[in-house]
Amino acid sequence: MKNTINTINKTCESADYIIIGNSAAGLSAAASIRTIDKTGSIIVLANEQFANYSKPLITYYLAGKVKLEDMHFKDESFYKENKILLKFPINVVKVDFESKQVISDKGACFRYKKLLLANGGVPIIPKIEIAGSDDFQASKENKSINNKAASKEIVFPKILDSFSYKNISGIFTFTCIQDAMQIQSHIIKNKIKETAILGGGLIGLKSAEAFLEIGIRVRVIELSDRILSATFDKQASSIIENELENKGSKIYTQNTINKIFVKNGKLDGIELKNGEKIDSKLLIIAVGVKPDLRILKDSNTEKEQIRSGRGIFTDESMETSIKDVYAAGDVVESFDFITGNKTNIAIWPLAVRQGEIAGANMAGGSKIYGGGYFMNSIEILNIASISIGITNPSDDLEGHVEIIKDFKPEKKTYKKIVMLDKKIIGLILVGNIDRAGIYGGLIKNGVDVSEIKENLIKEDFGIIALPSAYKKHLVVGDGIEV
Amino acid sequence: MKKIYIKEEYCIACRLCEIYCQVKHSKSKKILKAFKNETDILSRVLVEEIGYNSFAIQCRHCEDAPCVEACISGAMQKNKNTGIVTCDEKKCVGCWMCIMACPYGVIKRDLSEKKVASKCDLCGDEEYPVCVRNCPNEALQFKDI
Repeated sequence: MKNTINTINKTCESADYIIIGNSAAGLSAAASIRTIDKTGSIIVLANEQFANYSKPLITYYLAGKVKLEDMHFKDESFYKENKILLKFPINVVKVDFESKQVISDKGACFRYKKLLLANGGVPIIPKIEIAGSDDFQASKENKSINNKAASKEIVFPKILDSFSYKNISGIFTFTCIQDAMQIQSHIIKNKIKETAILGGGLIGLKSAEAFLEIGIRVRVIELSDRILSATFDKQASSIIENELENKGSKIYTQNTINKIFVKNGKLDGIELKNGEKIDSKLLIIAVGVKPDLRILKDSNTEKEQIRSGRGIFTDESMETSIKDVYAAGDVVESFDFITGNKTNIAIWPLAVRQGEIAGANMAGGSKIYGGGYFMNSIEILNIASISIGITNPSDDLEGHVEIIKDFKPEKKTYKKIVMLDKKIIGLILVGNIDRAGIYGGLIKNGVDVSEIKENLIKEDFGIIALPSAYKKHLVVGDGIEV
Repeated sequence: MKKIYIKEEYCIACRLCEIYCQVKHSKSKKILKAFKNETDILSRVLVEEIGYNSFAIQCRHCEDAPCVEACISGAMQKNKNTGIVTCDEKKCVGCWMCIMACPYGVIKRDLSEKKVASKCDLCGDEEYPVCVRNCPNEALQFKDI
C-alpha cells in the first residue's frame, strides 16, 4: 500500500485546507476558514456531477417547483470570492493520515495541512428477498398453491442490498439529485400513477410530499405504529395520516416489505409482511440514512484511527481523534444538547453550524460546538408541521416530564409541549407553526417557563407572554435598558 | 448598522406600523387600493398586545442569524455590507426551516401566491423603515448600534 502512495506522491496536489464534501457543512467551513485565513488555499472535493446544489431541495425538484439550475444554495461568486477551488466529481476512497494525503478512486491525490470530512450520509438499504415475477402472478391468484413457478430458477440477485437495488428498474432511494432525476424519468416512461414508499420517516414523507404535488398517490409502508414516529406522537401522526388517506393515499403501519417481485429487470410488485400484495411499479426505499464511513475502512490503520460509532466522533472543536482532521455535518456523531448523549443528528442547520465551527478552528480560531438537538419542518398536503427536541420522552423520564397538549383534529391542528425541570425540552406543532421558533429559543436558552405555562399552549402565544427577563433580552437586546 | 429599537413603554398598539408595512409591501403602494384589492398582504411587523402592554416587533437582523443558517435554498441571506437579512422570494421554496429557527417568531408564511417566507427587509430603499417613520409615539426608533 505504501508503495502505491509513494508513486502517486509525485503528482499530489497540495492545499492548506482540503474539504471532502460540497454541501452545507463543507461550504460553511470553507467560508468560515476564509473569515480568518485570507490567503490559505482551500480545495473542496465533491463526489457528485453537479457543481453545487442543495440536497433537501430534491423534494421541490421532483415536485416541479424548482429547476436544476436554481437549486444551488451558493452561486459561482461564492467560490470566487472565497477563493475556493472546487473539484468534482472526485470520489475519495482513502486518507493516509501519516503522509496527510487524500486519494480518490481514480488515483488522484491531494495533500492537506488540515482536512475536513464533511462527506455526509448514505441511504440504508434493508435486506429484502427478491422473487421472480411468475411467482408474483401465481401467488396473487392463489396463495396456498406451491406451484412450479415458485421453484423456478431466478437469475437475478436474490437479496436486495445497497448494490443490487441499483440494477432493478423502479427501485430508488431519495437522497440526491440523481435519485430525483431517475425517479422523474421512470415516472414519465412508465406512466406511474402510484408509488410505494418503504419508510414513513422524514425522507419517506418528504418524497411523499413531492409525489402528491405531481398527482401521484402514495402507499407508505412503516414498521412502527405511526408515520414520522421518531418525532411525532399518535395524535400528530393521525392528522397527517387522515389527510393522506382522504386524498387517496394509503398508510400501512406495523408492516414492512417481505418480498420484491422483479420481471425482466423491472420492479413488478411487492408483498408486505401481512401477506398483502401491492402491484407497484415504483418503490422508494426511505428507511433512513447513516453517516458515510466508507472512507474510514481503508484509512484507519492500527497506528492511526478515526474513532467512530454510528458516526465520526469529534471533540467540541469538531476535531476527530486524529490531529488536523476535522469532521462536520451528517457524518458526525456529536452530542445532543438536551440529553447530553452522543448522537447523529443529520439536519441542515447543524451541518452549517458544525462546519462553521470546524472551519474556524482549522484556521486557528477557537470556537466551541455547544451541541445540537433535533428539529425539522415538513409540510404534507398543505399541513405544515414543526418538531423540535424530545417530543416522545422515554419511559425513564415518565413522572418527571410534564406534557401539555392542544389537539384539534377538526381544525387539523396540534400543539404539544414537553417540559422537564421547568424547561421546555420538546415541541410539536401541526397546522399553525408560525411562532415555532420562539419555543425553540426557550429550549435553546433553557428558560424557566413555570410561570407562563398556561400561555405556552394558547393559540396567540407570542413574545409578549414570555417571562419578563427573557422578553427584555429579546426585545431590547443585551445591555440596553428600556 | 442601523437597527430598529423597540420602546415598549411608548407603544399604544395603534397598529399603524402594520398598516404602513402592508402598504409598503403591496403592489399598488397606495393605501386605499391596497386595502380594497390586495387583502392578502402580510405585515412584516407584528404588534403584540396583552392588556395595556404592547409592542411592535420585526426581524432583528441578527449577527449570527439562525434563519440564514437554517435556510436550505440559499434564499435567506445576510448582506455583508448592509447587515440586512432578506429573503429572496424567487429562491425561497417555503420549507419553513427559518420559521423553526427564528427565536423572535417574526417570519411568516406568505401563501398568497407561491409559498414563501415573508419578513422585514428594513425597507432597504427608504431612509427610514415605514413602520418607524409612521409611528406616532416613537415606539419604534431607527438608530445605529
